[in-house]
Amino acid sequence: MVNFKINGISVKAQKGETILQVARREGIYIPTMCYLAKATPNASCRMCVVEAKGVDGLVLSCNTPPTEGAEITTDSQILYKERQNIMKLYNVNHPLQCGVCDKSGECELQNKTLEFGVEQQNFAVRDQARKKKKWGVHTYDPALCILCEKCTTVCNEVVGNEALFIKAGGYKSRIEINLANCIQCGECISVCPVGAMASTDFKYTSNAWELTKVPSSCAHCSSACSLYYESKGGEIRRVTNEADFSSLCGAGRFGFDFQNRVQTKDTSAFEKAVEAFKSAKNVVFNSFITNEEAFVLNELKKKLGFNLVNDDARKYQEFMDNFASTSNKSLYNGDIKDLSNSDFIISIGGSIQSDNPMVKFAMAQAVGYKKAFVASIHPIEEAPISNVVSMFIKNEVGSEEAALSMVADIFIEDKSSQKEFFDSLDFGYLCGESNISEEELDELKQKYLRKKKPMLVIGEDVINHSRAKNIAMIVGLIQKYTPFKVIVVPPSTNTLGVSLICDLDKIEDGFSVGYNVKADFTLSAKGEGDLDMPSLNQQEGTFVNIDKNLVVLNAGVAYHGYELNDIASSLGVESKNVIDYTSKLGFKEIEFDDLDNYYDNVGNAYRGYKIESVKNNDSVKLDEVEELGEFNGSVVYSRNPLSQFSPFTKDCKQIKVKDELVGSEQFAMASKIKSGDRVKFIVDGIEFVRHFRVDRHMKGTVAYNPTFMLDSKSSNYRYNQVKIEVINE
Amino acid sequence: MKDEQFNNRNVSNEYFLVDIEDYPTEPWDKFKRVVKRTFRLELFVGLWVVMREFFKFEIHTVSYPEEKMPIGPRYRAIHEMKRLWESDTERCIGCGLCEKICVANCIRIETKRDENSRKEVSEYSINLGRCIYCGFCAEVCPELAITHGGRYENASEQREHFTMYEDMLTPLDTMKVGNQLEFEGFGAITPHEDERVKKTPLAY
Repeated sequence: MVNFKINGISVKAQKGETILQVARREGIYIPTMCYLAKATPNASCRMCVVEAKGVDGLVLSCNTPPTEGAEITTDSQILYKERQNIMKLYNVNHPLQCGVCDKSGECELQNKTLEFGVEQQNFAVRDQARKKKKWGVHTYDPALCILCEKCTTVCNEVVGNEALFIKAGGYKSRIEINLANCIQCGECISVCPVGAMASTDFKYTSNAWELTKVPSSCAHCSSACSLYYESKGGEIRRVTNEADFSSLCGAGRFGFDFQNRVQTKDTSAFEKAVEAFKSAKNVVFNSFITNEEAFVLNELKKKLGFNLVNDDARKYQEFMDNFASTSNKSLYNGDIKDLSNSDFIISIGGSIQSDNPMVKFAMAQAVGYKKAFVASIHPIEEAPISNVVSMFIKNEVGSEEAALSMVADIFIEDKSSQKEFFDSLDFGYLCGESNISEEELDELKQKYLRKKKPMLVIGEDVINHSRAKNIAMIVGLIQKYTPFKVIVVPPSTNTLGVSLICDLDKIEDGFSVGYNVKADFTLSAKGEGDLDMPSLNQQEGTFVNIDKNLVVLNAGVAYHGYELNDIASSLGVESKNVIDYTSKLGFKEIEFDDLDNYYDNVGNAYRGYKIESVKNNDSVKLDEVEELGEFNGSVVYSRNPLSQFSPFTKDCKQIKVKDELVGSEQFAMASKIKSGDRVKFIVDGIEFVRHFRVDRHMKGTVAYNPTFMLDSKSSNYRYNQVKIEVINE
Repeated sequence: MKDEQFNNRNVSNEYFLVDIEDYPTEPWDKFKRVVKRTFRLELFVGLWVVMREFFKFEIHTVSYPEEKMPIGPRYRAIHEMKRLWESDTERCIGCGLCEKICVANCIRIETKRDENSRKEVSEYSINLGRCIYCGFCAEVCPELAITHGGRYENASEQREHFTMYEDMLTPLDTMKVGNQLEFEGFGAITPHEDERVKKTPLAY
């Protein structure tokens, strides 16, 4: 604790806090241009200078920690002149095109130029031709750029991509891109204080003040990031976020046009839907659903007695039940913030690159800020994330149980509760089967020394593993007996919420009603089914995200048809609005309208509430590690490409990633196919016809087969041995 | 359109008083006035004036619509969209300020990025049924693109006839012969503006 004064007010600073951070926490205004709360200070703008008593010259408040008894002044005539001069310099040759510039109205340069009363320009330099650039989803106009370096900082530190960099050259300096590294997330657009980085699609279509802003949560993956839908004329025009504190991936920022554009209520289809529910044996749904609607389905199940089917959430539910039997806590104990603050990360069973972008962002931050050691236990070495992952431990497909049991053996010191299990582990055999060498494990153990905040990230592949029960128990043990914090990444947006709310069954033969899943009678938010439903950006409700937070979802655009609550109401589960159920979900009795959804001055998120873990006192014994059959020949991995998560992202016009089979040259050779071939193969009974493309950066004999276009997520193990047939014409 | 008569604002003091009797208040006086008016045949006095002027051919009315009164440059009738003198292209840059300032909420503007990656107006409409002709749009326009014109005849079968962007835009042939009229109302450049501009110092 450091005691000091800002403008005569006594304040206290925590260890490591800077003057600017303390001032913001206390609500004292210091103007900044290049400061980004979620990253390290750039110190390029010098706007945040303050005066300190007894110190010659001015002090940069963004990167200076206060000293005991310091007296800081944040506004004086000298500082005003200094800041005015900075603004004048920024305005040298800045094009006077505010009339057409998108940023006008929310432009930092505009605001601060007016704030510091720049009426006259005393500086001049010869201007030069600067060419506009188009880099996919974003465009760059160097003439507007003030070189604050926010975009490069966010790209390198927060996203961890190292795509943007500064091409230095004095007055000719500009931002350049290494397009191969760019994941088209648009973080650079969100942090740009001027109109230099702009969205290609949004550019010149609306002014900031014409848009209606609705705070909501992203509906594409389990991070459920906070975002604002900004609409005009009944269409969402863009998505923005609290760029100073939170991040969005490309799907969140550019995948917003997935609303159901139905214009009227189809009464006859509605009546058929009510009848279908009455005669249904199964109701099948996926986890792209709000808690409230999941709750409604569960209530309907209690009333009508059908089977409620959601394999994705059921597997997750089973996994967490088994996890709880050894960890004695119903939920995992880590979250994304812990991950970005950790210094030792093991990821197993998930594709870091594409499963959950926020997990990857957090790992990149952990590496950047905390010098974290990241080990990825995964059969595929993903080249694009090699700057984040310190060590790829390539295991044999299917051997996750063996790998995890060895990890548990290394890190658990108190083995007394599961003595038989640990005694039965034969490292020689396990190493051989899983193809993980003892040297790799030794290195892992070596790197763990003196680390304080270890994390274990559990991905989808182990949740859907045939040995998921035992794996879940091992994960539970690790959480209980080691300092490791655990995250079990929910595979879809609201898998965690559905698994906590619904009582799920397996599908049986008989008439099925599908909610966003193709069935005998289909309710579809994509307008493809028998009755239209609102999509997730047209609904109010809540999600439970990866941080175990119940977060608020608001409607970005209007919807004119029937919704699930109307069907439930006519079936006897009555309520006026679906959000009436928010307080009845079984977590906390807080009404929907009373839930928070904002960030404070320092960047603390107030989004809904945290769902607490429930304790139990089970003591279950683990089974011995069992080996799976070998995966030989052509193996495909049902992993979605970047920014694609579901049929909802598929139709968004700005997300252009195609559904093609992507493999290495080695895979092409082994499967006797070549780039550009049209191939046919069967995975889980579904026939896929795909174009095959060779990715030169890939290694190994496993190919990626995306499944985002399928309405229901297959909840089987994502690796499959397939027979590939070429069907070129 | 000539405006000399409007420029002369020296209203003369040559008033003269009309000889009007005081109004009667007593009932007897009122009765006397009725009798007087009835038997003096005042109706024919008026008719005689009309007939006299009719035969003298001194017509004091404007024979609308063949003849129209000149209107002042600051008159606010149906909007016009102006073109640039230099290139004949549209002046409107699509900044949206007119839409923002419109108190009747009758302007709608949609913009997009054109093939030269410049901002382009893709749709511009004014709902003249709602417009109150306040002139704020012309005043706020930074490019002097939207102005009021002198066309005040709003009668038509359809309101849309007046709101087409193309109709408001100065026709190219008018532009070619240099007949585009500049607006002198709100927001127009005042005389001697050039002399008042502060120039940026160029040190090089």
